[in-house]
Amino acid sequence: MKRHRVRIIAATGIVLAFAILVSIMHLGNAPDPSDSTRYLSRALEETGASNRVAGVYLNYRLLDTLLEVLVFSVAVLGVRHYLQQSEGMELPDLSESEVVRTAVVFLSPLALLLCAFFAILGHISPGGGFAAGVIAASGLLYVAIAHGMGAIEAQLNPGRMARTEETILLALLIFALSPIAFGKLPLSDLLAKGTPGRLLSGGSILVYNILIALKVFVGAWAVIAVFAQHRGEL
Amino acid sequence: MIARWILLSLLPVVAGISLTQSRRLSAIIGMGLFSLVLAAVYLLMHAPDVAITEATIGAALVTAIYVLAIRRTGRLTVVADEVPGLIAREGDRVAGLEYEILKGFAQQIGLDLSIQFVPLRRVRWLVAHHEADLGAGGMIHCGDAEGTLSSTPMHLATGLFAFSGTGMQQETEPAREAPDYEGYFSELLAHDKQGTLSAAVTSLDLARVLSLGRVGAALQDLARVDGEYGYAFLISRRRTTLQRDYAAYLTQLRASGRLDEMIERHFT
Repeated sequence: MKRHRVRIIAATGIVLAFAILVSIMHLGNAPDPSDSTRYLSRALEETGASNRVAGVYLNYRLLDTLLEVLVFSVAVLGVRHYLQQSEGMELPDLSESEVVRTAVVFLSPLALLLCAFFAILGHISPGGGFAAGVIAASGLLYVAIAHGMGAIEAQLNPGRMARTEETILLALLIFALSPIAFGKLPLSDLLAKGTPGRLLSGGSILVYNILIALKVFVGAWAVIAVFAQHRGEL
Repeated sequence: MIARWILLSLLPVVAGISLTQSRRLSAIIGMGLFSLVLAAVYLLMHAPDVAITEATIGAALVTAIYVLAIRRTGRLTVVADEVPGLIAREGDRVAGLEYEILKGFAQQIGLDLSIQFVPLRRVRWLVAHHEADLGAGGMIHCGDAEGTLSSTPMHLATGLFAFSGTGMQQETEPAREAPDYEGYFSELLAHDKQGTLSAAVTSLDLARVLSLGRVGAALQDLARVDGEYGYAFLISRRRTTLQRDYAAYLTQLRASGRLDEMIERHFT
């Protein structure tokens, strides 16, 4: 119990410290929100990402996106905290039909492929880290529905997944703040903008997309797994 | 432009269809379809990023989570002890009088019927702990110390038979060839081997007496117990809505004469 309380306090502290630090350093630099035409006319040139939506939410408005990621992490933490108090139940297995099991064989690899596609190419084509992570978690959920939770839990322990999620979050925050070390403002681009349309373009957007995809995938899966454990479903 | 209007007008239609489904799984599929149409609308409005997010969250993840949520609530979960004639596996399907009643009832209240065969003592435990909605398979409810279990109205009269249980004869071996299921007969055989049979069972209902006869067992000093007994389903005392729904269904089944017709079909 004590450990969880410490964790929650630590998480809240990280969120607050991050928000205050970045707000102070970022506010003077942020583009005028009322000047929306700037986003459209200059996004390509200023961010290097040919998907301008990604350019806006992972460059101009990166602060908003990072706070959104933090909210997600706090939600994962909350679910685990409140569900860990109750004991899991042992129930008879619910078997799934052959149709579902066969469909999963086709659907799950497709989900993983789409996840990689959206995460890696999120800055040049529609997609992005959030969608990619959710797709991968859905793919894993399909496998769990068809074959039972036990098969997956043996490979991916929910507790370890949640710790991995926290580690990825930490990496994300460190990466966002790392430009300070190079004498730049936090949240500014660390990598080269490159030629728009190429894989290596758009500055740090590629790294953010991949990290967010991993984080959302692991976090969503940790939540689903804890729900499943404590209702005994799957 | 026309495509967008067609899709937009499709949205309320799909929403209406999913709202009016009595079967929960169909309603969830309707909601997934709604998300998919909405994603197509976003795509036509040149917002592919939003379309992808809508499709992945609305159609894929939320649908899967809803499916998870209804796996128990959207089903009428019945745990049963296998009793030939009442409810038992025949090849790869389930058959029997109780199965037919349950199938009709599940259909009436818009749930999918899910049957699991478990040993007799697990039936009582699972129903009492709300892990199953009904217990079936020749249940005769004779009160319950903790008061958590109740029973539905009887659907078939039967008799109870007391026996001395001085030992089942060795030709009851067919139970060894029975499916790998720890049930009533295997329990009896285990008690027989340990010599604790008379302590374990002192009376049997008609269906089990007949079943034991079918596998070649001889029960000594069989005598009918006085009193009116009948088969019913076990149900938790707290599931009052389900009790009322089932009682109404059974009354209707009896009034229409379909219950008698079913009994006749299965037992003559």
